[in-house]
Amino acid sequence: MAPFLTIAEAARQIATKKLSPVELTEACLARIEALDPTLHSFIRVTPDRALADARAAEQRVMSGAAKGPLDGIPIAHKDIYGTAGIPTTAHSKHLETFIPKRDATSVRKLAEAGTVMLGKLSTHEFAFGGPSFDLPWPPARNPWNPDHFTAGSSSGTGAAVAAGLILGGTGSDTGGSIRGPAALCGIAGIKPTYGLISRAGILPLAFTLDHAGPLAWTAEDCALLLQAMAGHDADDPASADRKVPDFTADLGAGAKGLRIGVVRHFFEQDNPASEATRKGIDTALDLFRGMGATVKEVTLSPMAEYHACGFLIMITEAYAVHEPWLKSGFGDYGELFRDRVALGGLVRGVDYVQAIRRRRLLCDEMRAAMADVDILVSAAQAGEAPPIAEVPKWATLAKPSFTIPFNVTGYPAISVCSGFGEGGLPVAIQLAARPFEEVTLLRAAHAYERATDWRNRRPAMAA
Amino acid sequence: MKPSISPETFKTLMAQTGIPLSDAQLAGIYEGYGYLESLVARVNAPLPREAEPALTFSTETK
Repeated sequence: MAPFLTIAEAARQIATKKLSPVELTEACLARIEALDPTLHSFIRVTPDRALADARAAEQRVMSGAAKGPLDGIPIAHKDIYGTAGIPTTAHSKHLETFIPKRDATSVRKLAEAGTVMLGKLSTHEFAFGGPSFDLPWPPARNPWNPDHFTAGSSSGTGAAVAAGLILGGTGSDTGGSIRGPAALCGIAGIKPTYGLISRAGILPLAFTLDHAGPLAWTAEDCALLLQAMAGHDADDPASADRKVPDFTADLGAGAKGLRIGVVRHFFEQDNPASEATRKGIDTALDLFRGMGATVKEVTLSPMAEYHACGFLIMITEAYAVHEPWLKSGFGDYGELFRDRVALGGLVRGVDYVQAIRRRRLLCDEMRAAMADVDILVSAAQAGEAPPIAEVPKWATLAKPSFTIPFNVTGYPAISVCSGFGEGGLPVAIQLAARPFEEVTLLRAAHAYERATDWRNRRPAMAA
Repeated sequence: MKPSISPETFKTLMAQTGIPLSDAQLAGIYEGYGYLESLVARVNAPLPREAEPALTFSTETK
């Protein structure tokens, strides 16, 4: 197979005409053909569109009119991102034949940056119900071991990036759906600040918790994708109207001077993480100290408080979106989605109001905790990916989520690979920053990745 | 997590949603009701009277 490239590496080679976007796209299509019958990361491959995009990019590069670092870079979109003229199914029977008339804003912006669209990626049904085996398409599988789970809901993106089928892709994150697959698939995934990336044209799960964002092999690649996706959009009522910074500006600045807080009780008491995960966090903290950062312990409310607030809001808002179809076509949803969301019909109005009152208090708490801290460190998942056939139906409710505190508060957070566990699968750390401080977040994540050699290891099946 | 109410009471509760459900489908959702009860109990723990809801959610930037 063709060698793996990050977006940054491919961009450099394309810019110097050492790499042809068409050949890069053909290599990705060949990899998809070889590996995706096992991984099921794609719902739909769009080779004609991809090759047309690649030829156009190549023409721009050869004529000196390249658009920037994403020109000619093969990506794909989670199948809740609307794509004009191309089915957008949400991995659900309900939308099996739905063809949007327009692109989601971020799909359009990534296309305008010159990316090559390889197709649409698997998701948990409507970004919530998975891993499911009773849907029109099978669930994505983990390239590090296809018998294992990818996490979700941006499951196809996680698997496809890790296996090198795409160089980057889009995801959405309502309770951890970017950072979970990034963690279990051993890649990077950033959930930016609420409002930084438009949600217009992306199928909703829960309006006040939904975030769009990229997944890629490295934090640097996430920065490049985020650059194209971020920005104000009048079509999204929650879109932040503020200047978009250069997310790559501080990537080379290292960690010197950063003030790092570690939320140790999250992964030691609230949801005890595996030994490999805890070792990864402690090693990361040592590396940050060695680079000149300071580290202190930060205490927040128990993770279960964030979890209860976030999940109650999530299932109630999701129920509001899906109630008509739950009543008219309950059996057309997969069991996991319909049973989880149906519970939202039992939430009283007063319970939802108490959850959003509590949400404000948790936001206040997070703001105070980060007043003198630049980066918060915790786990992204409790450990390695479990076997896909052994994921309990109520797993998302049984233990508090490491990722949902940053959906509840809207703070930006990234998951990056921090090593491998006993089973040979990846483990991860999660870094978070203050709102709209993605530049600092990506700086810290990049510094960490550069200080380790985890980015040099790829899944054996894709080698 | 075991729900605090019986399957029969749960059936009555679910009927209020208007979703037509078979007994097997009801049983599938009933399993998760105990988790919902624990979430509801947590968010209903006493709050300061003046605690305002995050009605129009926006990220704090101060």
